[in-house]
Amino acid sequence: MPPQITRLLLVTVAIVVAYFTARHFLVPASFGQYGWYRADALKDYQLLPINYAGQAACADCHEEVIKKRAKAKHRSIACETCHGPLYAHANDPTVKPAKVGNGNFCVRCHEAAPARPEKFPQVVLADHNPGQKCTECHAPHLPTEAP
Amino acid sequence: MKSSQQSVSRRGVLSALGKLVAGAAALATARKVRAVTKQAVTTPAPAGYDPTKHQWRMALDVNKCIGCGSCADACKNENHVPRDPGYFRTWVERYIIKKAPHGSGEPCGETLVDSPNGSIGGFPPTLVPKSEILKAFHVPKLCNQCSNSPCDMACPVGATFRTPDGAVLVDPTYCIGCGFCVQACPYGCRFINPLSHTAEKCTFCYHRITRGLKPACAEVCPTGTRIFGDLKNAKPDDPLLQFYAKNRLQVLKPHLGTLPRVFYAGLDEEAR
Amino acid sequence: MIALLMAHKEASAELLQHVQGFIYPNELNLLWSVLIVLYPYLTGLVAGAFIMASLERVFNVKSLKPIYRLSMLTSLAFLLVAPLPLLGHLGHPERCYEVMMTPHATSPMAIFGFVYAWYLMAVLLLELWFDYRKDFVEWSQTAAGWKRPLYSLLTLGVRDVSEKALRLDDKMGRIITIIGIPSAFLLHGYVGFIFGSVKANPWWGTVLMPIIFIFSAMVSGIALLMFLYLVTCWLRKVTVDMTCLETIGKCLLTALVVDFSVEALDWIHRLYVADESLDVLVLLASGKLYYSLFLVQMFLGMLVPALCLAAMIVYKEGWKRRQTAYFVCSLLVLIGILAMRWNVVIGGQLFSKSLRGFTTYKLELVGQEGLLMAILLVLLPFVIVSVMIWLFLPRAEMTGTTRAIDD
Repeated sequence: MPPQITRLLLVTVAIVVAYFTARHFLVPASFGQYGWYRADALKDYQLLPINYAGQAACADCHEEVIKKRAKAKHRSIACETCHGPLYAHANDPTVKPAKVGNGNFCVRCHEAAPARPEKFPQVVLADHNPGQKCTECHAPHLPTEAP
Repeated sequence: MKSSQQSVSRRGVLSALGKLVAGAAALATARKVRAVTKQAVTTPAPAGYDPTKHQWRMALDVNKCIGCGSCADACKNENHVPRDPGYFRTWVERYIIKKAPHGSGEPCGETLVDSPNGSIGGFPPTLVPKSEILKAFHVPKLCNQCSNSPCDMACPVGATFRTPDGAVLVDPTYCIGCGFCVQACPYGCRFINPLSHTAEKCTFCYHRITRGLKPACAEVCPTGTRIFGDLKNAKPDDPLLQFYAKNRLQVLKPHLGTLPRVFYAGLDEEAR
Repeated sequence: MIALLMAHKEASAELLQHVQGFIYPNELNLLWSVLIVLYPYLTGLVAGAFIMASLERVFNVKSLKPIYRLSMLTSLAFLLVAPLPLLGHLGHPERCYEVMMTPHATSPMAIFGFVYAWYLMAVLLLELWFDYRKDFVEWSQTAAGWKRPLYSLLTLGVRDVSEKALRLDDKMGRIITIIGIPSAFLLHGYVGFIFGSVKANPWWGTVLMPIIFIFSAMVSGIALLMFLYLVTCWLRKVTVDMTCLETIGKCLLTALVVDFSVEALDWIHRLYVADESLDVLVLLASGKLYYSLFLVQMFLGMLVPALCLAAMIVYKEGWKRRQTAYFVCSLLVLIGILAMRWNVVIGGQLFSKSLRGFTTYKLELVGQEGLLMAILLVLLPFVIVSVMIWLFLPRAEMTGTTRAIDD
């Protein structure tokens, strides 16, 4: 075999061996378990901390509110929709949840807007007792009743 | 709309072609992957969650959305998404379709779309007078977790992947931050996180659903617009199955063949 | 960390002022910057320069002999720089090895590592080695100082320069060039495919994209060689081989005409098919891209040099003026193709995938993806090619191989 070819073959073999050696050390262990990715990434995701505790956690302690709401249209709304993320509070009740709005939080959903479904209860703020806070007449958990 | 056969064959052909290209390297890889599989199956997953025993889906009832923005806000809280008007894993769009000028012979006029800060904090009152509006509605957007996901196909290293339980995820420890997946997503659902410099997207709140909780957006949605469920463990009266049965379903940009797994009911042709 | 986030927030608020119509919220920050404009530009120059070299070797265009080695060295210099803008743009450049370790078979970008490695090692380096082996052996005995061990190392220890061995070198070189032509097409066609395969983006996702990229690569590569050949000759005070220059000029004109035809076909198809994206693309071309598309790419980069080159085939007077004209043409074409890459890469990200609006791109001056970095990356291959010319293309050789015409 001509010397040029022999030398090049040697170089080629060296490169291929180096490539597969590198692969052996650099490909993560769980790569390929479910597909072309690191299967351990699924476990990494599962271990991320949560911030919203979920409705079941609220019901554990606040049965009286859940009962009161049962009569209201608001019964199907999760506590954390208005009260914000409560995982820290659920874990340790001494961590107080943030206060919800300043009595006008209702407008976020109930202010009249053309893009809202027609049958959804809406009020035109300028016509509906302007200057008053919603909570002066409506109890948030049971809005048909005064607080 | 969801011919799974089509997706299987197309993917099959593509990956077969790819394997031909990879040639000898692929053979060696296959051997290695088998060895890895054997080893990993013997180590139990944490909390005993088995991704092969679930199939998660979300569906959206556009007729119910009031555009309060609670979902977009909760998503940022839950997933520590940067509080910046350029980064969202989910957001809500407002469509206002004006009446056609009188006598123009057109069915409808101009369509105005907006999503200020992704709808967080709600929408400001529209400047279009009510008398000029033909119809208006909100469309919540999130990753469609496509079963023929163009982002997954584009990822050069295998950092983006489709999980066995119906989500499309990004491995932040493996992503090189090339941004090809962001370009490949037709729905604008991905972004490069300015702090981690890796691709990010809706995960269906994978850390929550594997603990038995709903995704944060579905948890806080006050109107039941976002319906979430597990197709492999659904009882016949499951809200998700009921939703599928009672509605005509649509997906976004069906002509692109991405086969989204997030279904909408009540979508207008203007929504894309 | 928080400061960085605040800075980002301010930048986003500033960007929001410039948004027209509706864009998806995540489209606010344009992702692929000027560095990704350079990547196809540099790769195109590699492929184009190589195809010029192969014209001499495979198709026996003897008049191009003076630029054979120059083409090969240019191709190598630009290939070495081509991945740098990509690397500079990655969020995690330290993880780039993953592309080689776990290449995802369905990703056009994953194949980059392999196509690049193949082109660098199996085509360019190998061909250069067979071509230069005799010289390396000779120079390793005659050169002075540190150059001597360098040339010696480059022989890879093979010192056989018998007639039989040299015949084999020539034969191997020819075979590699033949493999090299489809490889060059593959290298740049695949860069086109990276964009052409993005079905989410109607500006990129066309089957013609790889073809457009290949022909624009040839145009830019030929122009680059014309430019480098003239500059090298002028700096070294070597007489320019006019036959060679005329041939390069004719090649450039042909490539320009084909390139223009393919791009025109793309537009004719778009206008005729008129799918849902047409409105926003017409707005894009006539608005945000007006100057870079019509003025720089089409008029200055294509029409003017094409007319000038055509005129020079008809009127054959004044070799000095002709050289200047060729020089100006090559520069215009090089700028025009850079504008074309800009229009593809940046243009494709300016409009929203909702097809309802536009975002904006502000090129920074400094920073990892700023203008200065871009200029540096464009100049770098010219520095490398200068060093290579100094090391591997002695002045004596240039005068030796040129059949000079002295008017």
